[in-house]
Amino acid sequence: MATELDRRTFLRRCTLGACGLGSIIAFGDLLQVHAVSNGHTVPPLAKAIVIVDKTLCSGCRTCEMVCANFNGDGQNSSSHARVFVEKEYLKGNYQPKVCLQCADPPCLKACPVGALQIDRSKGTYARIIDEETCIGCQECIKACRQYFRPPRPVFDPQKEKTFKCHLCAGDPQCVRFCPLGALQVARSEEGFLVGYPVIKED
Amino acid sequence: MTTYGGWVGKILRVDLTTRKISESSTFDYVPQFLGGRGLGAKICWDEVPPEVSAFDPENRLIFATGPLTGTLAPTSGRFEVLGKCPQSAPVESFTRSGVGGHFAPELKWAGYDAIIIQGKASQPVYLWISDQKAQILDAKDLWGLDTYQTQQMIWKIHGNKTRVMAIGKAGENQSRIAIILTDSGDVSGQGGFGGVMGSKNLKAIAVRGTGSVIVAKPKELAKITHDIQTLFSRRSVKGNPYEPEEKSFKYNIWGGGYGRGSLTLLPGELLDLCNDPASGYSQNPDGCFACPVSCRSRVTGPDITPGVAICAGSYMYLESMVHEPEKGYSKVTWQAAKLADLVGINAYDLMAIIPWLSDCYRAKLLTEEETGLPLEEIGSWRFISTLLDKIANREGFGDLLAEGGQRAAAKLGGKAEELSFMYYPRAGKFGGFREHWTFLGGFPTGYSVTPLALMWALDNRDAMVSHSYISMLWGAAFTIGQNALTAVPEDIFPILKPVMKAVYGSEEAAEVSGPDGKSLSWKWAAPVVKRFHEQSLLKDSYVVCDMLFPYAFNANSSDHIGDTSLESRLYSAVTGIDMSLEESFQKGEMLCTLERALAVRDGRTRQDDILHGIYFEKEDAGGRKYGREELERSKTDYYGLMGWDVNSGIPTRSTLERLGLNDVAQGLERTP
Repeated sequence: MATELDRRTFLRRCTLGACGLGSIIAFGDLLQVHAVSNGHTVPPLAKAIVIVDKTLCSGCRTCEMVCANFNGDGQNSSSHARVFVEKEYLKGNYQPKVCLQCADPPCLKACPVGALQIDRSKGTYARIIDEETCIGCQECIKACRQYFRPPRPVFDPQKEKTFKCHLCAGDPQCVRFCPLGALQVARSEEGFLVGYPVIKED
Repeated sequence: MTTYGGWVGKILRVDLTTRKISESSTFDYVPQFLGGRGLGAKICWDEVPPEVSAFDPENRLIFATGPLTGTLAPTSGRFEVLGKCPQSAPVESFTRSGVGGHFAPELKWAGYDAIIIQGKASQPVYLWISDQKAQILDAKDLWGLDTYQTQQMIWKIHGNKTRVMAIGKAGENQSRIAIILTDSGDVSGQGGFGGVMGSKNLKAIAVRGTGSVIVAKPKELAKITHDIQTLFSRRSVKGNPYEPEEKSFKYNIWGGGYGRGSLTLLPGELLDLCNDPASGYSQNPDGCFACPVSCRSRVTGPDITPGVAICAGSYMYLESMVHEPEKGYSKVTWQAAKLADLVGINAYDLMAIIPWLSDCYRAKLLTEEETGLPLEEIGSWRFISTLLDKIANREGFGDLLAEGGQRAAAKLGGKAEELSFMYYPRAGKFGGFREHWTFLGGFPTGYSVTPLALMWALDNRDAMVSHSYISMLWGAAFTIGQNALTAVPEDIFPILKPVMKAVYGSEEAAEVSGPDGKSLSWKWAAPVVKRFHEQSLLKDSYVVCDMLFPYAFNANSSDHIGDTSLESRLYSAVTGIDMSLEESFQKGEMLCTLERALAVRDGRTRQDDILHGIYFEKEDAGGRKYGREELERSKTDYYGLMGWDVNSGIPTRSTLERLGLNDVAQGLERTP
C-alpha cells in the first residue's frame, strides 16, 4: 500500500519533479505549498481519497452515471463521468478507475494557468480544476496519461474546458451510490501519500 | 431542440436493400408511445402489415430504447427488440424481447432512441453506429464466426468500448429460435429475432456513443435512485460480494429469496471449483447497466467459456445433473449453455426441445438412427454438442428443430405433437412459447393460481416475462419458510392480502382458491391481469427491468407492501413530464390494446386465447384443476374491462378512439 511508504522515500522521488514545482510557486496565492526539509516543495496531501476494492465491482457503472448526473448539469453519460469502469466484458475483469489525488500531481504541474488547484475550502484538499480559469489546453490530460490510463481529467468539447474528480466537495457521489460498496472514502488529517510519484501506473 | 429530457430525439432507419440510411424524429411517436415496447408496437403497426412474413425483407427489425435508457435511473440499461416474430406458431406475429447489459445506453449516447432495420443486404454486412453516424460495412470475414468471436473482431476494428449485438450460426441460418447476443450473455432470446437478422444478411450491430442523455430533474433522479437502492440492495460484506452488510437484509428481487448474483450456479462440481480460491475458477455478481442489485453471476475458469448467467441460460441443460448425479451442476451443464450462446440458439426453447425429445424417445416415437442424435445419453456432452451443432447448421434432424420445438412437433404430428403440449401451453394459432410458471411451483407439480392461467391465455409470448406477480407469490412463500417450488397458495394468502390490496385494489384478490380448498376462485383474475398488463407494458416502455419493477412485494418490511409508483416517478424525473400513477395505468392500457390490435390484425381472436387440454385435465398439487368454462368467463371479464368485444376479443372502435388510437381503429376495420 502507498501509505506504507515512508516520507523519506517519497521525498527522494519528489526531487524529480522539482522543476515543475518551481513553476507552481509562481501561483503561490492560489496554492498552499508545503516547503520540505531539503528545500523542495510539494502541495499539501489530499485528506480524502476514494479507494477501490475491485473484487467487489459488478461492473454496473452506477458510479459513472451518478458522477455525470451530479456534476454534468443533467447530462447523463459515461463520457461526462470523472470515474471510469474499465471492463473486459467477456472475461469479466472489472476495474473502476478513480482519480488518485496524487501526492505530487502531474496534472497540477502541467497546468500553465493555475487552473489546477488544491481544494482547501472543503477540507478534502482534492486536486481540482477551477472551471473559470481553465483554458481547455488539455496539458493536464497529457501529463496524467504518462502514468495513468485512462487519464483522469476529461476534456469537454462543448464547453472547451477540462473537468476532473473533485471528490464532490467531500461527499463523493460514486461512493454514496456504489451498490456493492466497491468504492469507499478514506479520510486522514495527515493526508494520503498516494498516486504519483508513489504509484506510477494504474 | 426538445424541452423534454430522456429521449435523444432521433430514430435511425437503415434500408439494407438500397443501403439508404436516414433519420426521423422520435417525437413523431413520443411521449404518446413512451419508448421500448410501446414505440416498437406503433412502428410495427405503421410498417409491418399482416402479409409481411418474419423473414420477408419488408419485415422490420426494431431496437427500441426508452426515455430512461442510458441514465442513472436504476436498471436503465435495457431495450426491446421488436418485429414480426418467426417463433410464434403456427402464425408469425408481433412480439417483443427485452435485452439487458450495456448496449442500449451506448445507442442513446450515439444519438438514437431506436433503430429500424428493413430490407435485405445482398452480401453479409454489419452496421456500425458512432456518434450520430451510421455505416453499412462488409461482414464477409465475420460470417460463420460465433457470437464471442464476432464481438472480438469488431472490438479490434472499432475499439473495445463498442457494444455489439451479434448473431451466431443459428441466426445466419434463419433458425426460428435464434438469439441476438451482446457481451457475455445478454440476449434477445424469445421471438427468434436472430433469425430475422440473419434473413437480412446482417451479422451484427456495433455502436459507440460519446454523447449524453439530458435528464430534466437530475436532483430528483438522484433522490429516487437512492430510495430505490435503499429498498433493493445493501453494500456487500468485504470479501464477499454476495452477502449484504446488513445481516437480515434481503435483496428485494424474486420476493427476497434469491438476490445478488445468486440465480446461477446450482450446487455441484463447478460451484465447488468457484468456491476454491486456488482453482482458478470464480463466480461473482455481475451488473447490467445502472443496476442496484446485480442479479446475474459472471463465471470464469481456465477451461470453460466465461460469461454471465441468469436462470434460463445457465439452467438450460439440467439433464446433465441427472446423467451424472455425482457431479451435480457440472462444467458440462455450464458449457452446454455457453455453447447455445456461442452458436446463438434460444436456451429457453431448448428447455422444451430437450425434454420433449426425451419423451419422444422413451415413447419410441423417435430413434437415434433417424434423428442422428445420441438420445440414449441425453445429459451428456456428446448429446448436447451434437444437438446444438445440428440445429445451428440446420443439418439433418437439426433442420426441423431449428424451426422451434412447437413447429417441429407439429410437423411430426400425432403422439409426438401431443407430447409437446405440456411444454407449449397456448393452443390456437399464436403459441410457440415454452411453459413458464403456468402453475405456482411449475408444471406439472405445482398449484393452480387463476391469474397465471389467464395471463398465459392472453399474452403474445410466454406470459411470466414480467416477474413481478410471481415474485410476490414467492416473497409470501419465503416469509413463511416455504420456497418457490414448495409454496402452497392457502398458506400464503394472509401475507399476500395487504400486498394485493395495495397493488390490485383488493385483499380478496389474494384468495385464488375457495375456503373449501377444493374450488378455485376466478373472481379477481381479470382485474388483476389487467393491472399486471398495464404495469408490464409501462416498465417495458420506460424501459426498466422485470426483476425489480413493478415493485409489488417488499421482503424487508412487516406489511410487505412495495411501491408501484417508482417507475412513473423515474419517468417524471428524467423527462420532466408529470405523470400520475393513474395516468400511467391509462397509458399502459392503451399500449396493451395497441399490442392486441397488432395480434388481431395477424388473425388472433378469442379462440386463440386458450390453453391445451392437458392444462385443464391435470389435477394440481392441491387436487384442483383450471376450469375451461371459468377461464372463458374470466376472458369475458377481461375483454369487458379492456373495452374489447367480448365475443371476438377484438378492441372496439369506441375503445380505440377513447385511447387516442384512431388510426389503429381505421386500420383494424380494413382488416378482412
